Amino acid sequence: MERIDGYAPIREYALIGDGRTSALVARDGSVDWLCLPNVDSPSVFARVLDAERGGSFRLEPLKRFESARRYLENSNVLETTFTTATGRVRVTDAMTLTDIERISPMRELVRKVEGLSGTVALRWAFEPRFGYGRVETRIERRAGRWFAHAGADAIALGLCDAGEGALENGAVTGELRLGEGQSALISLAGATKEPAVIPGREDSERRLERTVRFWPEWAGRMEYDGSWSEQVTRSVLVLKLLTFAPSGAIVAAPTASLPEWIGGSRNWDYRFTWLRDASWTLDAMLRLGFRDEAHAFFWWLMHASRLTQPRLQVLYRIDGSVDTQEHELPELSGYRGSPPVRIGNGARDQLQLDVYGTVLEAIWLYGMEVGRLDGDTGKEVARIADYVADHWRDHDNGIWEVRGKPTAYTQSKALCWVALDRACALAEAGLIPNRSERWRDGADELQAFVDAEGWDEQRRSYVRAPDLRELDASLLTLVMLGYHHPRSDRMRGTVAAVERELREGPYVYRYRGEDGLDGDEGAFLTCSFWLVDAYARSGRVDDANELMAELVGLANDVGLYSEEVDPRTGEFLGNFPQGLTHLALVNAAVSIADAERERAA
Amino acid sequence: MTIWGALAGGVVGTIVLTSALRLAQELGWTRMDIPLLLGTAFTDRRGRASVLGYVLHFSNGIVFALGYYAIFRAVSHAGWWFGGVLGLVHAGLAGGALMTVLLPAVHPRMGTPWSDAEETPLLESPGFLLMNYGRRTVVWTLLAHVAYGAIVGGFAAQLG
Repeated sequence: MERIDGYAPIREYALIGDGRTSALVARDGSVDWLCLPNVDSPSVFARVLDAERGGSFRLEPLKRFESARRYLENSNVLETTFTTATGRVRVTDAMTLTDIERISPMRELVRKVEGLSGTVALRWAFEPRFGYGRVETRIERRAGRWFAHAGADAIALGLCDAGEGALENGAVTGELRLGEGQSALISLAGATKEPAVIPGREDSERRLERTVRFWPEWAGRMEYDGSWSEQVTRSVLVLKLLTFAPSGAIVAAPTASLPEWIGGSRNWDYRFTWLRDASWTLDAMLRLGFRDEAHAFFWWLMHASRLTQPRLQVLYRIDGSVDTQEHELPELSGYRGSPPVRIGNGARDQLQLDVYGTVLEAIWLYGMEVGRLDGDTGKEVARIADYVADHWRDHDNGIWEVRGKPTAYTQSKALCWVALDRACALAEAGLIPNRSERWRDGADELQAFVDAEGWDEQRRSYVRAPDLRELDASLLTLVMLGYHHPRSDRMRGTVAAVERELREGPYVYRYRGEDGLDGDEGAFLTCSFWLVDAYARSGRVDDANELMAELVGLANDVGLYSEEVDPRTGEFLGNFPQGLTHLALVNAAVSIADAERERAA
Repeated sequence: MTIWGALAGGVVGTIVLTSALRLAQELGWTRMDIPLLLGTAFTDRRGRASVLGYVLHFSNGIVFALGYYAIFRAVSHAGWWFGGVLGLVHAGLAGGALMTVLLPAVHPRMGTPWSDAEETPLLESPGFLLMNYGRRTVVWTLLAHVAYGAIVGGFAAQLG
C-alpha cells in the first residue's frame, strides 16, 4: 500500500469498534481515526484528516513488507498479516467489549502481535492528539506506564513484551522483535471524566477472546436465505458497528469530512443519525430478524424526535439532542489537502419533506411487526401525519440536502404521499387515532400533483422537480416504497430513464444538474444498490443480479463501501464506511431473494 | 411543625413538580418523562410503564417529604424558604447522581456510557444534569424541585 503525501487511500481502511466508538485501521497497520469516548466525540487520532498533526498509532515491520488482511469470520475483529523477507507476523486489532468478570477500561483498543514464521522486527509509534489535535496533549510516564491526557480525557498505554518505549517529539515510540510462536500485546485504555482502568495482559487477552466469540454469535442470529449472504453478513456487521449501543441510534458513518472529491470542499460530518435512514434501517433489521435492534432503534426514533414533534429535524445527535451546529477546523489540512474539515452538520436547519415519508414508513413497518403502538406514540404519529397534510405544499431542500434555492422536489412530494398513505394504514389497523379521511384526501391531492407536475411524458419518467426537468436517482425510492405498483408503466419507465441517463457501468449518479455547491463529486454507491432493488421489484431479476455482481466487486478487500466512488479510477470517496450504502446493499439483496422466490413460485 | 403537614406538602409538591415537568414536555422544552423512566424499569409497554411510573413517582414524593421532615426536625426549623433550599439540594442530587448514575445502573432497559455492542437498551440515559433530554431540562428540574421543597417546607411549618 502506497501512501500519498502521508494519506492512505480510503479503500485501504478497515473499521473496528465496540458499539460506542470505532477506529479506522489502514492496511499498513496505522490506526488513523479514533474518537473517544464516543463516535461523535473529538478525535484522538485523526491522521486521516491531517497527516502531520492529526495523531495516529502506527505498528508496522521495520523492513519492507507486504500485507494481507481479513476480518475473523463473521466478526469485527481485524487480522493483518505482514510478510517480510525475514518472516511473517499477524496483528489482531479489536475494540474489546466490556468484561463482565472484572472492571474494564471505559474503552479499549487491543493490538495483539504474533510471530508466524522466521523473525520480524517491528516498530510502533503512539502519537495521541486529543480534541482534533487542537488541544495540548501531555504524555507522561507514571509507575512504569505511559499516560497521555488532555483535560478530562486520558489514555493509558499498556505494553506487554512490546518494548518500553521512549518519548520523542510528542510520540511514544518503540521496537520489538518476534520469532515464530512469540507474541506481544499493546492496549490503549481510554477514560473520560473517570480514572483510567489499567488492564493487565491477562485481562486484555480475555476481553479479546470474548470479543472474538461475540461477533459470530451475534451475526448467527441473522435470518436470511438468499444469494449474496457473505456481503449481507458483512453489511449487518458494519451497521452494528455504526449503532451507538448506549442509545440505539445509528450514525450515517463513523467519520467526518472525508471528501466527496479529492481537493474539493464537499466535506461533511456524518456522525449523526439521519431520520431519512430510519425506514431503510428498520426494514433491513426486521427483514433479517434483528428484532431487538429494531425495537431499540424505534424507541430511540420516537424519543429523540420528541423535542421537535410534529416537525421532524433532518438529523439528531446520537444522544438524541438536536444541537448539531456546523463549524470548521482550520487547524486541520483535510484529507489529501481537501479543506475545510467540518464538524457538526448544517443540514439540520433544512426542510426535507421526504423525511416524513421514511419515518412513517418505519413506524408502519414496526407497527405491522409488533402489532401494537402505545397510546402516546399513536397520538404523536397522528400529529406528524397532520403536519404533513398541512405542509406538503412547502418547498424544501430535498433528499440530497441541496444548499441552493428550495423547490418542489418530486421525490419529497411522493414521500409525503407515502407518509399520509402509511398513516391511513396505521389508522385502519387501529394503531393510531383515525383521521384517515383527511389524510386520504391529502394523499389523493398529492398524487394528482406528482403525477401531473413531476411527470415527463417525453421521457416516460418522473423528473427531479416541476422546474428541474432532469433525472434524479432518488426517484428509485418511489419504486421501493410502493408509490405506484413497481411493475406499473410509470415505475418501469422511471427505472429505465434512470438507467439510461444516470448509469455508467455499475455506477449511478445522483443527478447531473446543479446543487448550489462548487466542485465535483463521485458516483453515489447507494443509488447503484437502489437501482438493483428497483430492478428486482419491477421484475427485472436478471438485471438486478447482474448489477449486484458488479457492485459486489467494487467493495474493498474486507467488504466495505464508502459513500461514493470515482468512476474513472475506482477510488473511494466520502465518509467511510457509509451506513446507507450497506443498508441499500442489504435491502437490494433481500429484494432479489424475494423476487427469485416469487419467480420460482 | 408536623409530620402530617410535611406529608400533605409531599402530595401537593409532587403534583406541582409532576405537572411542571409535564408542561415542559408538552411545550417541547424537555424529553424528560420521569414516570416513563421509572415505569420502564418494570415493563416495556409504554402505557403500563407510565401508570406504574406515576405510582412510583408519587410514592417517592411522599418518601422524600419524610426525609425533608427529618431535616426540619434536626435543625428545628421549617418554612417556605428553607424548604426551597432543600429542594435545590434535592435537584442537585437528582440531576447529578440519582437519575444520572444510579438509575441507569439499575434500570434494565436503559443504556449507560458503558453499554456496548452486546446490549440493545431501549432508553437513552439522562446524562449529567439530565441534559441528554434537552438542555432546558436542567432549568425545569431545578425550578420544579425548588417548588416542591418550598411547598413541603411551607406545609410542614404552617399545618399543625
